[in-house]
Amino acid sequence: MPEMAALRRLLTHPVFLRAAGIVVGAVLVYASLDKIARPDRFADIVHDYDMLPLLAINAFALLMPWTEMVAGAALILGVWRRGAGLMATALTVAFMIAIAQAELRGLKIECGCFDVTGVSSSEASWPLFARDVPLLLGSVLVWRRG
Amino acid sequence: MRSPASQEPAPGETCRFCCPIEGAWQLARNRFPHALRAVALLWIAVAAAAVWNARLPLGIPWLPSPGNRVGIPRAFESSLPEINAAEALTLYQAGEALFVDSRDRKDYDKEHIPGALNLPQREWAKLWPALKGKIAKDRLLVLYCYGAHCGLSTRQGKALLEEGYGKLVILDYGWEAWTKAGNPTVKHPKAGNA
Repeated sequence: MPEMAALRRLLTHPVFLRAAGIVVGAVLVYASLDKIARPDRFADIVHDYDMLPLLAINAFALLMPWTEMVAGAALILGVWRRGAGLMATALTVAFMIAIAQAELRGLKIECGCFDVTGVSSSEASWPLFARDVPLLLGSVLVWRRG
Repeated sequence: MRSPASQEPAPGETCRFCCPIEGAWQLARNRFPHALRAVALLWIAVAAAAVWNARLPLGIPWLPSPGNRVGIPRAFESSLPEINAAEALTLYQAGEALFVDSRDRKDYDKEHIPGALNLPQREWAKLWPALKGKIAKDRLLVLYCYGAHCGLSTRQGKALLEEGYGKLVILDYGWEAWTKAGNPTVKHPKAGNA
């Protein structure tokens, strides 16, 4: 169908892919800042998700935000875009699994998505899960086609 | 042209079977170059996290603190000692300390340590401004929550340390340890909440 072909051309256009990389990268970098500044509070939130053994929580809380930062910076700068897209995809899938399992288990916990100080944080919920879908699509696009 | 049966590499070609590590590397480089770059980016993240955490004043240890507590900055580890139920009972009987119950209000309402103040950690941001200044900063505070792996009292301890409270102890295994030891409790109170 011509519409599908046009959509495919748009989604794989170098300018569109570059823009998608910058947007996804900016979201990741912004999301990492608060967690990098307060790894102790992010560790508390990771603990609340109740997905990791205690032994791994501090290390995860230290590493994950920097993974976001490095992947995001690489996407913005256009360095190793497809590798960074793969990282962004893996991170987004992990976020979505974490939020979904919290919601399914009825855990009323802070999302820890952009804010870990509790000032403007939101609860892990299905709307937040849905918010991650465009981020996932953008990440996959950059990874597969970037 | 190479014979299909031959294991000999063509001139200039790396032998995939001579060295398994080199073969795997070549395979990964040819088939999954972006995955390799993602791994390289991951290592950059590991290095950055290590350097940043070593320099951060509120940096945390990579492994849990003693007592399997997570998310405690290195600077706070010695300021949040744990006591057991017997030690907590001694403090309770001496009337020296204020017990702070960081569990949810509904659980406090069911049963709690007599005289304990309920400051649900999940409502810290909402409740603390009204309570700020009403507790002397040199008062000994015994913080407790539900039990094993409950992080609420530790989290409250961190928040109180940041507010300038210096005499804090955490009741190890919290409410669970207190009740298992047969220490006094009060049920169904209607007053006393923060």
